[in-house]
Amino acid sequence: MATSLVRQTKLLSIVTSQFNSAACFRNIHCTAACLKNRAARIRVGKGDKSVTYEQAYHPHDIGHRKGWLSQHTSNLQGEDEAAERVVEDVFIRRFMYGTFHNCLADEVVIKRRGNLLVICAMMIQKLLPSKFYFLIGYSEELLSHFYKCPVKIEMQTVEEKVVYKYL
Amino acid sequence: MAASISHPALSSLRKINCNTNGIFSLISFSRRISVSSVLSTSAVATEKEGAGRGVRGQRRSKRQAGEPRTERMSVDQDWTAVYPTAAPFKPSAVPLPVRMGYPVKRGVPPAKKGNLELIKIPNFLHLTPVAIKKHCEALKQFCTEWPAALNSDEKCMKHFPIQVQSKEFVSAGLSVRNPDARIVTLKVKLSSLNLDDHARKKMIKLSEERYCKDTDTLTIVTDSCPLRQQNYDYAMYLLTVLYHESWKSEAWEQEKTRADMEEYEWEDSPSQKNLLDTLLRMRPTGAKDEEEGAREELLGQPAVQEYRDTLLKLKNEGETEENLQKYKEAVKKLFNI
Repeated sequence: MATSLVRQTKLLSIVTSQFNSAACFRNIHCTAACLKNRAARIRVGKGDKSVTYEQAYHPHDIGHRKGWLSQHTSNLQGEDEAAERVVEDVFIRRFMYGTFHNCLADEVVIKRRGNLLVICAMMIQKLLPSKFYFLIGYSEELLSHFYKCPVKIEMQTVEEKVVYKYL
Repeated sequence: MAASISHPALSSLRKINCNTNGIFSLISFSRRISVSSVLSTSAVATEKEGAGRGVRGQRRSKRQAGEPRTERMSVDQDWTAVYPTAAPFKPSAVPLPVRMGYPVKRGVPPAKKGNLELIKIPNFLHLTPVAIKKHCEALKQFCTEWPAALNSDEKCMKHFPIQVQSKEFVSAGLSVRNPDARIVTLKVKLSSLNLDDHARKKMIKLSEERYCKDTDTLTIVTDSCPLRQQNYDYAMYLLTVLYHESWKSEAWEQEKTRADMEEYEWEDSPSQKNLLDTLLRMRPTGAKDEEEGAREELLGQPAVQEYRDTLLKLKNEGETEENLQKYKEAVKKLFNI
């Protein structure tokens, strides 16, 4: 009985050592995969995909060829509440994307002037102006109640998405 | 009647042709087929199409966007009316042919229409010199004149020797509070306070590292209270207490030894004793009796005084070329070298 157990453990150790060799090496992942080299990048294709300036340049070009979509003072040295601002930004972007369905021509730009939250959005002329005005008023009212601060939406419209290049 | 309906029927037929590839052959036939037959086959279809086209026509043939504001701007317009407050860049309201962005290969930077980069950056179009002048004019009614008597820094320092500094913080966010705003710095020059020699030395000793010798400034920084007003009151209280305590003399202050002195004093120092002994020995052997009077007489001599001055300079200010030279001269004079 003891010898069979010993043999089983020996077998197990042989098997595990084989698995630990370079050929079949598995690790246990405890965190979510970040895929930092695939984030916010549109891969080059056949040449029929139109991309805007924002989509054409990758995150490493921020600060070199692209500006920042969201500006506030919390990221400066010695300032507080950076995380709260980031969470607000994420919510605002999803909100705008959902409220103005298929109308957004480009990313939403968020600016903060003291207490005031300014959301600059570029839209395609898909809806009637009166519908746009209603949605602007609705968004401003709702967001100002959520965040307890004045919210202004500055909207610009273009006929169609501004194409920078084709990938 | 047939002719009047022919147009929509034919156009709808063309539409059907465009939508369904299978009936391409009908395009060549459409011109020759008589209207009646077309009508019969697509009579039902026209109504449907007409209704469909009506709705779609509303979306397709929407009203054109008007011309941008830049077309109607005159050269001498009031720019403060276009950008009265801080606003993002509006390409239809700014008449400049601005381009921004990295150009595509063998291309130019993208134009201003629909350019997100121009919207991202902060602009100062609302702060032209004309606009700032208008702001100043509007604010003037709330301002008072600077008092004419305080027309130089020295006069300001003379009348207001105590300087109090504190910081205000402005940031983007939902909260106005910043804990660093409670810190108060109080600066005062000791020369402007009424202190005698003992009080001045005691005050410097009491304030330790808060006193700067080069600028003769006492700096008190208070941040222990939660409010700025409280910190200001505490700083003023500290100054008052320092001042009054430095004027008082405690009993134990009599026990001040040579090691506690801030400056080197020549009187009663080993250097003085040594010098006097040397000079007395240098004298001819005749006048040895009146030693006390001789000492005072020696002290009164200009050479000795000069030696004393140079020695004080050396000890208090440190060794420099100048000081060492002067010491050398003084010693030479003393010993008549």
